[in-house]
Amino acid sequence: MQLYLPIAEIPVNIFVIFGMGGAVGFLSGLFGIGGGFLLTPLLIFSGIPPAVSVATVTTQVVASSASAVITYWRRKAIDLKLASILLAGGIFGSFLGVILFDVLQEVGQLDLVISLSYVTFLGAIGGLMLVESVRAIRRRKAGAPPRARKPGQHNWIHGLPLKVRFRRSKLYVSVIPVITLGAIIGFLGTVLGIGGGFMMVPALIYLLRVPTSIVIGTSLFQILFTMAAATIFHAMGTKTVDIVLAMTLMVGGVIGAQFGARMGQNLRGDQLRLLLALLVLGVGLRFAVDLLLIPDDLYSIAIRKGAGS
Amino acid sequence: MMRFVLSVILWFCAPFGLSLAQEEDRSQTGHLVTAVSSDRISIQSNFTGTEIVIFGQAEHIEHQPNAPGGYELAIIVEGPSQDITTRRKGRFFGVWVNREAETFRRVPSFYAVASTDDIGDMAHRSILDDLGIGLNHINLAITGSSNVALSDRDDFRRAFIRLRQEMGLYSERETSIEFLTETMFRTNIPLPANIPVGQYKVRSYLFNQGEVISKTQQSLRVAKTGFEQFTFNLAQDYSLLYGIMAVALAIFTGWLAGVIFRKD
Repeated sequence: MQLYLPIAEIPVNIFVIFGMGGAVGFLSGLFGIGGGFLLTPLLIFSGIPPAVSVATVTTQVVASSASAVITYWRRKAIDLKLASILLAGGIFGSFLGVILFDVLQEVGQLDLVISLSYVTFLGAIGGLMLVESVRAIRRRKAGAPPRARKPGQHNWIHGLPLKVRFRRSKLYVSVIPVITLGAIIGFLGTVLGIGGGFMMVPALIYLLRVPTSIVIGTSLFQILFTMAAATIFHAMGTKTVDIVLAMTLMVGGVIGAQFGARMGQNLRGDQLRLLLALLVLGVGLRFAVDLLLIPDDLYSIAIRKGAGS
Repeated sequence: MMRFVLSVILWFCAPFGLSLAQEEDRSQTGHLVTAVSSDRISIQSNFTGTEIVIFGQAEHIEHQPNAPGGYELAIIVEGPSQDITTRRKGRFFGVWVNREAETFRRVPSFYAVASTDDIGDMAHRSILDDLGIGLNHINLAITGSSNVALSDRDDFRRAFIRLRQEMGLYSERETSIEFLTETMFRTNIPLPANIPVGQYKVRSYLFNQGEVISKTQQSLRVAKTGFEQFTFNLAQDYSLLYGIMAVALAIFTGWLAGVIFRKD
């Protein structure tokens, strides 16, 4: 069934979009990720204009993180103070992101920056996760006990000034790295159309040493509000949020996520991380190939002014 | 007789918003009358493209295809103008990136031409250029701030026309005007699903021996209607409200899913 999208101004097959939302939702439920980094490229490859894809996925990420945030809220697994400070940085970063998005679109390098960022971030994080999960699987096979978190372990970040106590996370740390981290994730999320959970979670664990039980809920809470802000910034700035496309993706996504979450409970953590690492690396590689191979068409056009710009 | 047939057709079509254009001077040989099947194209949520029919009559002519000195027709449907940038990728440190860019000013967002003959044979190049008849004769004005070498300009023009053709927004269909009788003709112009909204022009030209002897112009409006229009206007004019609505809808959907699939 074809459905005309009012903002993208093209008709799409609603079942294909619904299916994409469902498939990405399944993976996000399985791995506990937002799935923006999968959904945005999928939409772009299927012919939705990149600007609309990026802006609309921010809305979809709001929906997919909202139901998870409610669950973690009930379990009291969110450090509100930490999340609020991350969020302050996130909204600032997101605002800068929309400005950069506009500028890049103007000079015609948006696609390049999106591709390069995907290759860099997905490659780096996918690689790290792959190494980590393979090690964990080996350790488990060898019968060694998993490494426990050593209390009181410090790195250079813990030497910075403006320290604040985060009770729930059992942390006493400077707000500078927290705000910076929030800003970077908000910025990248807005420009790339991703939630950034796959970057936020490792950063919170390895840089700030937030306990694992608090990390996911706090990260999701921050993502929810940063992406909500990004949606509003995109709606006002680029005017490319397509509510019909977003709604179709959301419905597919939340249904898929439920099935994914159920399946995820039957898999081991390290196996899940290995699969996720391969997935992340695969998407990064796809972008790298596109950048390096001779394109099918060297020319491209973009409407600057007038009808439909 | 033919005028009678045409007037009957027009009379039947009139209640359906059919528009009619004709020139003042009716006595002249080769006087052209044209009509468009619809003067308003509505885009709704089930819009997947449509087509318009243009028909008309050229009085006092005898159409003989390919006869030297015969009468020829060209009909152009043109969308509202746009500024469009064409970019070319080049290798930069091993990576393919957009390098040169050329911006074409005020080019039609949609352009379809139908004719009775090869457009190049119908009139002299300068006339075709003046009137913008045929894909090779569209006025592609460039901005002063172009970083494209003079020798490459034609490549950019060709690439621009080719990309627009691939999108279905530009088309040239020679010999697609069909004569029903010696003076009555019709042609179909397909409008793809991705057509831009706005005011369109339908221009018709009657040529004899390389000169325009009669022409007509009509307009056609392509507009979103109903929900599509409402959503689009909301996003444009009340963008903050639209953004907040999108967020509220997303949170509600997420919350609802949580309630429906709650295990306990």
